[in-house]
Formats: sequence, structure tokens, C-alpha cells
Amino acid sequence: MADAAVMPGFPRAAAGAKAAVRARPGIRFDRVTVAYRSTVALADFSLDVEPGEVMALLGPSGSGKTTALRTVAGFVTPTSGRVFLGDTDVTSMPAHQRGIGMVVQQYALFPHMRVEQNVAFGLRAAGASRATIAPRVTECLTMVGMAAYARRYPHELSGGQQQRVAIARALAIRPRVLLLDEPLSALDAQLRSGMLNEIARLHRELPDVTILYVTHDQVEALTLADRIAVMNDSRLVDVGTAQSLYQQPPSDFTATFVGNANLVPVTVEAFDAARQEARVRFAACSVVVRANGGVTPGERRTLCVRPHALALEPPAAGANAIEARVVEVQWRGSAHRLYLEIDGIELRADSKPLREPPHRGERLIVHFAAHDATLLAAAQADRGSADHRG
Amino acid sequence: MLLPSRPSRVAAWVLFFVLFVPVFGLPIVVVGAASVAGQWNDVLPSHLTLRHLHDAFVSNAGIELLTSLATGIIASVVALVIGTWAALAVRALRRRGAKVIGTLFVLPIAVPSVSVGLGLLVAFSRPPFLLNGTSVIVVIAHVVLVTAFAFSSVSAGLARLPAHFEQVAASLGGRPAYVLFRVTLPLLTPSLVAAAGLCFALSMGELGATIMVYPPGWVTLPVGIFALTDRGAVFDGAALTVLLLVLTLVVLVAVSRIRTRASYR
Amino acid sequence: MTAATALLAADAPAARRTGIPAWIWVVVPLAVLAVIFYYPLFFILRQSFTGEGGHPSLAPYAEMLSSPLFRGALLRTIQIASLSTLGCLALGFVLALIVSFVPFPGARVVSGFIGTFLAFPSFLIALAFTFLYGSAGVFNFVAMDISGATQPPIDFVYTKWGVILAEITFYTPFVMRPLLAAFSQLDTALIEVASSLGARPLRIIREVIVPEAVPALLAGGSLCLLLTLNEFGIVLFIGAKGVITLPMVIYGKAIQEFDYTAGCVVAVVNITLSVGLYALYRFLVSRSGGGRASAVQA
Ligand SMILES: Nc1ncnc2c1ncn2[C@@H]1O[C@H](COP(=O)(O)OP(=O)(O)OP(=O)(O)O)[C@@H](O)[C@H]1O
Ligand SMILES: [Mg+2]
Repeated sequence: MADAAVMPGFPRAAAGAKAAVRARPGIRFDRVTVAYRSTVALADFSLDVEPGEVMALLGPSGSGKTTALRTVAGFVTPTSGRVFLGDTDVTSMPAHQRGIGMVVQQYALFPHMRVEQNVAFGLRAAGASRATIAPRVTECLTMVGMAAYARRYPHELSGGQQQRVAIARALAIRPRVLLLDEPLSALDAQLRSGMLNEIARLHRELPDVTILYVTHDQVEALTLADRIAVMNDSRLVDVGTAQSLYQQPPSDFTATFVGNANLVPVTVEAFDAARQEARVRFAACSVVVRANGGVTPGERRTLCVRPHALALEPPAAGANAIEARVVEVQWRGSAHRLYLEIDGIELRADSKPLREPPHRGERLIVHFAAHDATLLAAAQADRGSADHRG
Repeated sequence: MLLPSRPSRVAAWVLFFVLFVPVFGLPIVVVGAASVAGQWNDVLPSHLTLRHLHDAFVSNAGIELLTSLATGIIASVVALVIGTWAALAVRALRRRGAKVIGTLFVLPIAVPSVSVGLGLLVAFSRPPFLLNGTSVIVVIAHVVLVTAFAFSSVSAGLARLPAHFEQVAASLGGRPAYVLFRVTLPLLTPSLVAAAGLCFALSMGELGATIMVYPPGWVTLPVGIFALTDRGAVFDGAALTVLLLVLTLVVLVAVSRIRTRASYR
Repeated sequence: MTAATALLAADAPAARRTGIPAWIWVVVPLAVLAVIFYYPLFFILRQSFTGEGGHPSLAPYAEMLSSPLFRGALLRTIQIASLSTLGCLALGFVLALIVSFVPFPGARVVSGFIGTFLAFPSFLIALAFTFLYGSAGVFNFVAMDISGATQPPIDFVYTKWGVILAEITFYTPFVMRPLLAAFSQLDTALIEVASSLGARPLRIIREVIVPEAVPALLAGGSLCLLLTLNEFGIVLFIGAKGVITLPMVIYGKAIQEFDYTAGCVVAVVNITLSVGLYALYRFLVSRSGGGRASAVQA
């Protein structure tokens, strides 16, 4: 076997923990394509993850997120393209030489080993001495609040506890890169938000660890990630900070997938270069919206406005007001979701819980501020308004 | 469910027991009764005795029992090693290759045991393999016949084993051999134990190939039982059959015990 | 990539891993199997084509295929196997149906018993049959007692029917096992919905259960056919003069007459027959889903 050739600059965790601090590799996908027999799971995927960054891969089911993550872990060999950890091309390096911590959706705790043996697995595999293993195991279990459960078997733990052990096991080898594949998807809603905070805390405690976090849940992505890579249909759609993707989505797919925006095809009537605002028209309405970068009158664009930006309250100065017919009213506990219609265009509005919600068929006026709306390139805007689930 | 009314359910159960008990229960009961029957000239046997078992042991049954045990244990261990190795290796092949090679390993299931014995007799009576007349040829016959079962049983276990255990182990830095011995094989324990039990049971009852190849010095229990019944000592044969069943049963029960314990963790 | 790494589960997309290929690992067990199984198989074939004086010849085939002994045995083997299989399918279906859909407290014990039965030697049944229906068996004793006859009136054990009945007894569990597995996967809600819609049990069986059971019946049936074609222990133990099957001919020629060549010719026919059936079985199993395949094999 050729595994004596451990990567230079990537000393094995237990043996050279000090050196790991110096080597802070990011992850680089360079035009990675993965094809199974008939499906292309990942197409021409290029992405740079900075050292110490939390990058979320966000996308609908089947969009290739797991595949991307598994090329980093070494369980999928790209059909073409390269994968780098730091400066090292790891495309064809065996998984066990990469020094990557991985937590999968199913946790995959070894059922025949106690919690402490699970956490010690990577250290044992690297041939660490007993004297170094024990304190490291305790340290990692303490970090995730599971020190009291060291002697238990996985089947004696709850889902959330197994999850913590899986994270402790991945951290025990002091990975420079941590891969998390939908780590919270098997937990109930309450546990999920608790674990989300825990992972955020772990990241603050381990600022050197680069984290690639796969999820289809935008809340997880927005909470944890420094940047988000939005994927669809085995391709990278957009990448940017959580805030920029949310406030100025570069594409209609991202606008819908992150924050479930209303997308409305519009025609530009005028552009105010000084205020970077445009007056646009759709149906019988004329509204003023933000338009960074400029537009030309007559141009066709897509208006993007979030459901919660549409308000029923009387207008503040400078806000747009449009009249719409109520199609459907849903109460969602913390909000009322209104489905509105203006000349065949459907809009979703989320308001605070209403004392007297409007009735179906009623006509009312909704408002939104110019800076809460943005213009995208004209595209198939119907995709957004067709979404009734959000 | 299917039969909502109680009378019809009861009728179905009666039908079940009318079919099941005579067909499957009666033969075992009868052989059991015969093994301790001093005389059987009536509906029920009379003069119950352990003489048959004793007589059988006074002649050769003890040696035959040991022969069967030795053959069964050696053949099962060898078959388990070959079958497990093959199952692991076949899993690593491409789909088409795995199918072809896998078929090669299970094909012995389809070949009549008498023909397996004949083949060994013909092939191993000449150089370079001169094994005819040795105990080795009996063990080989058993290995041929049970390896296919070990292979398919372990393969089925591997197919049920989720890939993420081994992948996580590798990502934690486990080298292939380390992962194999620390993760894959331990997780496979239930399948391995089940395969071992099955191999042993099949080997203990094997007759067709053994009767073709056995040398005078290596007579297994089934061959011995046939020799007894063939010369009319049917009660002695029944006694040995019961012994064989009990032994097989003990092993199967032990195996299922180990198996549930191994899968519980 | 090291060769051993290939032994780990990894999805292998279009691009292959480099280094020592995975098939290296299959060489050792394959070599063992080749020596102990395929090499003897080859010798059966070679011996069957060896004429007088050791020259290649078709004479052994011509001689054997035209002999009444062989023709009778071939016909009888196929007849016994098909009738036994039909019996197993019928009995197995009824029993599995009741265990699965009219459950009673001991149903799990029954399933366990069936699993155990598979591991017993087949001659057990033949031995039991001689005690029950043999010329000195219980039933003959009772019959002679009642009728006052001096000759045992029941003698079907020593005909092909005895063999068929014994094989049905022994091989029915081989049919029940895949059936029970298939039935356990059948959504009981289907049956509840059907009966709530007013369907009678027979109609439910015909329109809901049987379609689900067809793959398992086909798989179990062809396995059963294969095993009964090759059955030796039952025929040998019953030892009826008139009931000679192919495996018995092989045994008789090779061991009792020391005529290996004749034995090998019959073996080639028998092997061809059963390997062909086995191919059919694998095909049926692969169409009915891998999960059930393992239920049959293990
Ligand atoms: N081993 C495989 N063989 C064939 N196709 C595969 C394999 N693994 C994944 N695919 C296909 O590749 C595509 C991307 O799969 P992937 O698992 O990366 O999606 P995902 O974004 O992780 O989805 P999810 O959110 O549902 O986990 C899918 O169409 C899937 O069917
Ligand atoms: Mg996924």
C-alpha cells in the first residue's frame, strides 16, 4: 500500500496537531464534473472555499450537493476536473489520507463501539498512543456536551445525542476541513435550532476549520454560513454572502429558493440615476424600486420582492401602494399568509397575525418600500409565482 | 384482516394444522419415536429403550459422529473464509464483472451434489491431485457444496450494510485493512455467524457427494445412517438421525443466539 | 489509490480509480474455486467424451442416450420434479397465506420452524416415510389389523408417488420462505381497503395477493424444481427398485458398476438441465427484486 505518502503540509491530525494550525487549507473545486451511468450529478462545478470559512451548499433535492461534498471526501472520483485542499490536488487521493472530518446525515456511528471508542476511532487509526487518545476523546466529547455518555453504545442515545457524538468523532482528528451533509435533517424542529446554535458555537471555537455545510434548508444556510453556494440541477447557480444573496439575489432561482421571493415581470418606465431607482410597470400598477447599476426605459425586467416586505399598514413616505384581490388567506401561527392577485399576477404577502384577516375576494392595498424590492434580469418569472408551498 | 369473521378464521387455522402438523410434524415425531422404540408392531411403539443409540455407538457411530463434526467444522471454516473473501472482492468489482464473477461463485448451488462428487472422483484420481481415497476429498466436496451458500449469505449481508459506515471510517483516516477488520467485518458478524451455522448444518446432512467420494476410513454420519438402514437396522438409523438433528438444532439455536446479540449492539 | 482501498464501498462513477485494479482480490478465491469445482466439472465433460481405449468419442453418448435405463430415468426425474414442485407451490401457498394473513399466536414459531427445516437433511423425510407408510409401517399395521389382510395394502411409498410426497414435504418450506417474505412486504392496508370496499376473501386473494406473490412463486418454484431434479437422499433412502432418477443412475454407474464414463454422460445431462433451470431461476429472482433473492438463498 502506498499510504506512507501522507500529504506534505497536511500532517496527520493526532501526530502533528501543532502543524495543523499553520496549514489552513481551503477547498477548491476546479470545473468538477461527476457523471454516473446516465445522470450527470455535478456539472462543471467551480467553487473556492476560503480557509476558515463556512460555506453552505444550498439547493433542492437531487441538485448535486452531496455529490460535491463526496468529491471532497474522496468517495466520488470526478469524471473530469480537479479538487484541491489548499494547494494540494487531492482528486485521486484515497479518502483516508485526506484528513477530513465528515458527518453524514445518518450519523453512521459504529454500532459495535461505545461512544468513546467511536470518538477515538480516527486517533487509533492514526496510531496515536493511549496517553494522547484519552484526553483528546474527553476534550471532544466535552466540546459537544456528551462527556457523560462516553460508555454508552450508540443505540442507547437519542438522535440529537448521536448527532453530537458524530461531530465529536469528526473533530477528534483535528480536521482542517469539516464536511457536514444535512447533519440536522434527522432531528425534530426544536432540536434542530438548538443544534444549529451549537454548530455556530463550535465554529467560533474552531475558527481555523473550513466547513462545507450541505443543506436544503435556507434558515440553516443563512444562520451558519459566511457564504452560500446555491445549486440547482447539478450546477452552481450563485455564490455570495448570505446577506447579498438574500437582499440582491443575482438570479430568479436564488430569489425564489432563498427567501421565496415574489417574481413579477415588469417593464422599465424611467430610471433615476441619482437615487439608483427605477419606475417600473406591471399590469395597471406603476411602482418605484431599487435598481443598482442602471436600467434603460423600455427594458423588460423581473421585479423581486419578498412576501414579508409586502405590508398592509398605511404607507410610509415613499412607499409603493398596489391594489390587489385576496385569493386565499392562511394562518401560520406567527404570520398570516395572503395570496393576492392583480390582473392575473399572483403575489404572496406575509403579514403579522391579523386581528381581522381579510376575506377571500376582498380588495385591499399592499405597500412596499422601494429599497425592499430589486430588479433581476428578465427571466421565466413564472417559476416564483407558481410556488404555493413557501 | 383477510377473514373478518371468527368462524372462518378458525376454519383457516384448522386447515393449517391439518396440513402442517401431519406433513412437517409427523415425520420428525416418528423418527424420534423410532429412535427409542424397542418394538413397533402397533400404532405406537413399545418397549422404549436407548439400546439403538447405544448399539450404534458400540459399532461405529462415535467415530462417524466425530468424522461428521470434523468435516463440518473444517468445511464451514474454509467455506466461510473463501466465501467472505469472495463476497468482499466481488463487491469491489464493476457491476458487470461483479455479476459474472458472482455467478461463478454461486453456480455450485445448481450442480447436483452427486455430480460434484463424481467430478472430484474423476479429477482427483490422477496427477497432479491424487486425493481419491483420502479424507481431504470429502472435506473438499463439502467445501464446494457450502461455499456458495456462504458467499450468497455474506453478499446479502454486505448489500444490506450501508456504505456510509466504511466511508466515515476512511474519512477518519482508517486505512483499508484497518477499516475492514475494525468496521466492516464486525458489522458483518450477524451474516457471518448465520452463514457459518447454515454451512455447518448443510455439511452435517450432506449425503450425495459424500457417498460418491468417501474412503472407508472417513464415514460421515449420513453415510453411516444409510448403511444401517440399507441393511435393515432402521431403528439404529433413526437413533443416529435424531442425534444428527439434535446436533444441527443445537448449532442453529446457538447461532441465532449469537446473531441476535451481535445485531443488538 | 491502493488496491485494498478498492475493497471499501465506494461509488464508482465513470472515472475509475487508478493503481492495482480491484479484480486482483478476486483471484485467490476464484483460483480455489477453479481447482475444487470447475476443474472437476471439466473432467466430467472430458470423461464423458472418452471412448474405449481413451480416445475422444461420441460413443458414450450414443450408447447412454439410447439406453432405456437412461430414458426412463430422465423422464421420471422430470416427472417427479415437476409434480413435486406443483405440490410444493400449492401447499406452500396455502400455508404461507394462512401464516401471513390469518395470523395466530404461534405463527412466528411456525416461521422459525420452517427456517430450521431447510437445514435438515432430506433423507430424514424418507426415513420417516418408511416408518409411517413402509411395508412394516404404522399405517400398514393399522390397515392389516382392520382388514385382516396378510399382505401390507399400502405400498405407494415404493412408487414414484412416495418419492413425490416425500419431496413435497421436504421442499415446501423452500417455497414458503420467499412467499412469507413477499407477503410481509405486502401493505396490509391494501387488504383492508379491498375488504372495506366489499371484496370477498377469495376475490382479495385473486386480485390483491396473487399478483404480489407471482414473483415469489416463480422464484420459489424454479428453485424447488432445481432442487428436486437433483434430489438424491430421498430416492436413495426409499430405495424403490422401480424409481430410478438421474442422480441415482450416476451413483449406480459410477459407484456400483465403476463405469465413470457412463456416469459422466448422465452427469453432463443432469448438470445441463439444472444449470439451465438455475439461469431461469436467477432471471426470475432478479426481476422480482434482490431483497427476495437473498431470502431464497440465505
Ligand atoms: N451512486 C449514484 N448512482 C447514480 N446516480 C446517483 C448516485 N448518487 C447520486 N446520483 C444522482 O445524482 C444526482 C445528485 O445527487 P446528490 O445526492 O448529489 O443530490 P443532493 O443535492 O445531495 O440531494 P438531496 O438533497 O436529496 O440529498 C441525483 O440526480 C442522483 O439521482
Ligand atoms: Mg444529499
